[in-house]
Amino acid sequence: MKALREQIESVIKEEPVALFMKGTPQMVMCGNSSRALNALHAAEAPITTVDILPDPRIRQELSALSGWPTIPQVFVKGELIGGADIVEELLDSGELVQKLDGALGSDRPREVKVVALELG
Amino acid sequence: MEAEAIRDLLARAFPDAVELAVEDRTGTGDHFQVAVTSATFDGLPLVDQHRRVNAALAASLADGSIHELRIKTKGTP
Repeated sequence: MKALREQIESVIKEEPVALFMKGTPQMVMCGNSSRALNALHAAEAPITTVDILPDPRIRQELSALSGWPTIPQVFVKGELIGGADIVEELLDSGELVQKLDGALGSDRPREVKVVALELG
Repeated sequence: MEAEAIRDLLARAFPDAVELAVEDRTGTGDHFQVAVTSATFDGLPLVDQHRRVNAALAASLADGSIHELRIKTKGTP
């Protein structure tokens, strides 16, 4: 079983858009996670979500990697975009769609995926 | 946590701030909205601007006295 940090790194590097959140798209557990999810939906992004609630180590390892202390955290092609405030602000300014078009093309897929990390 | 305490932390981190507002969004002393306008942010991408605000409030974020933090940053014209 891959170490937690490696699993998190793989999601960040391999998924086009990664959203580390509290809960899942079907059951969002926090206002800011919901704001980030809705902004990504509005920008027609493919979204791979990871729930950080099952184990506090997930958030510790993630924040150690990203240097960002809060949840949610959004990455596009491995690059930290930020939390809910920034994703919303970029959506409102049009920069989020621009960034997604540039990184993934305007004909990008839209599917939403949930990745469950293996917790030893 | 008191909004005033957060204000002090931010004032120390951004002594040249031309705007510095802290609001207890829910009245429960742990959900805050902060707005900082400072030349420190000029030319910085949003994520780096917010990183600096998170850093100024790192201890309160880590120990949970701030449960939710909303951030609005601006550079100077």
